[in-house]
Amino acid sequence: MVSKKDLNRIEEYLWEIPADYRSDMRVPARIYADNDLLEAALQDRSVEQLINTACLPGVVKYTLAMPDIHQGYGPPIGGVAAMNVKDGVVSPGAVGYDINCGVRLLRTNLEAERVKPLMAEIMDALYHGVPSGVGRGGDVRVSGKDMDDVLEQGAAWAVKKGYGTKEDLEHTEEQGSLAGARASAVSRKAKDRGNDQLGTLGSGNHFIEVGEVVEVYDQEVAEKFGVFLGQLVVWIHSGSRGLGHQVCDDYIKRMQGSLSKYGIRLPDRELVCAPVDSPEGQDYMAAMACAANYAWANRQLLMHRVRTILDQVLAPHFKGRSFELIYDVAHNIAKIEEFTINGRTIKVVVHRKGATRSFGPGHPALPADYRSVGQPVLVPGDMGTASYLLVGTAEAADKSFASTCHGAGRVLSRHAVMKQVRGEELQQRLAQQGITIRGPMKGLAEEAPEAYKDIDRVVHVVHEAGLARKVAKMVPLGVMKG
Amino acid sequence: MTLNPIQPTSRQRYEQLEHTADLALRIYGQDLRELFANAAFAMFSQLAEDIEHMATPISRQVAVEGIDYESLLVNWLNELLYLHDAKREIYAAFDIHELSPYQLKATVRGDRNQNIRSIIKGATYHGLAIVQTAEGYTATIIFDV
Repeated sequence: MVSKKDLNRIEEYLWEIPADYRSDMRVPARIYADNDLLEAALQDRSVEQLINTACLPGVVKYTLAMPDIHQGYGPPIGGVAAMNVKDGVVSPGAVGYDINCGVRLLRTNLEAERVKPLMAEIMDALYHGVPSGVGRGGDVRVSGKDMDDVLEQGAAWAVKKGYGTKEDLEHTEEQGSLAGARASAVSRKAKDRGNDQLGTLGSGNHFIEVGEVVEVYDQEVAEKFGVFLGQLVVWIHSGSRGLGHQVCDDYIKRMQGSLSKYGIRLPDRELVCAPVDSPEGQDYMAAMACAANYAWANRQLLMHRVRTILDQVLAPHFKGRSFELIYDVAHNIAKIEEFTINGRTIKVVVHRKGATRSFGPGHPALPADYRSVGQPVLVPGDMGTASYLLVGTAEAADKSFASTCHGAGRVLSRHAVMKQVRGEELQQRLAQQGITIRGPMKGLAEEAPEAYKDIDRVVHVVHEAGLARKVAKMVPLGVMKG
Repeated sequence: MTLNPIQPTSRQRYEQLEHTADLALRIYGQDLRELFANAAFAMFSQLAEDIEHMATPISRQVAVEGIDYESLLVNWLNELLYLHDAKREIYAAFDIHELSPYQLKATVRGDRNQNIRSIIKGATYHGLAIVQTAEGYTATIIFDV
């Protein structure tokens, strides 16, 4: 096991395991954390997993862990690794099964205080109206040509079909459509799994949350993002559902068979990979883009449903309601991006597994209305504490391949938390805090606040380290669990 | 692996181990066929309540290929997850009639989805090794949940 003495402290919130710590490491491994978060990370196998990713062919500069790091499979959750597209690899396991699991945040023109008395009604309507849970299909079925269009166009397909607006696409990472998607790279099995799951939330840690802005740290940026103190906001967290899981599975299987062809040796088989510039690598990138697009179409449909439901419930009480998308981010994805390393600009595949892109001011990928301040970074917390809206920084490009944290990060296993917490008790406890919860009782306990790290601390680290800056803090009023 | 057993008992088919974010199951079998069948049973025991007592009117033939027993185990479990998700079925009985390092053929029996309690996104290779012991075989599998 890695211990604290193996790490060098580089900055107040940055630690490094040098490349000579293990003979198979190609680059150092870096961890952004304070003392306590680092101690927590050293309790499980997450740091060892980070070291394993530092052994992958073509990895550049260093691999990184965000302060919400915790143990996953393959790389840790909260891990970032960038590989040179010329001589590096792409790894499906380093993206994960839920390709483009991500989150979107909506702003309303409503004051939360005035909506609070309606919270039970709102959460009931969402729980009944949004398909969620295991094995529940949605009511938008796609197959054949329509499926191929979803896979190649993403959220743009949904908007064309009338589920949202052009502005929604502008406020989505990659405009909700990742380049290079090729539907023929996606298996029949994956498409089968996807044909009735569009517009469904899923289960596990996926949720819809109605919240209130309780603190604004940066007035100027908050105004750009249309955020004000006391505002009612809505979070949606979901991914690519069974289709994405199947794409990951298909390519892990295929690449297990091609490892010897490329002479790749791995410390962990789940990090199976193929050269970016190989048929296996290219096909995975094309299929992963399809799954990412499916996820963006999914969140677009979910948002459309949420808007419709909220509008119906609130119509008798408020005039002129608006529900606009602030932004949508992916936090499990591999993207080709350019970075300057030692004075040279190179193209890399940035694997973000439980990490959020954090582009700073002026980046050409940002929508015109946000470009002067930077990218909105969405960091949802657990159902009992808080979530944060941050903004990307220019320095994150150099420090972390423009990446930052994605949430609070688990600290207790699902099994351990189930032994401590009962769903019904949790629902009552949260109700006493003024938070209305809807969802299956069992799944609820798995996601109890005690299962997660202190999000205030996680966000403090990324803010102080310059990976993103705090803009506003939000607390939950109502949460629907998938 | 330095995972701590949660409820060790003898002659069991599987046990759950602590894992921060995902699901870790240690599987036992007197021989490889039993190990593979028990792994499938363990996985569906996590997906649905009380599968020991469910009726199994639906039968499906499953054939998967691999490059060694570990890849065959992962491919077998992920094939069953595919069937579960695509067909909306839960399986409780696993009859493996052919097993080599490269191929597995089985008949699985189950029913339409019922008593579902959670989702599993995939069975992973992370730390996976099939180990021969005095009692037979064991393997620890991490699932993305």
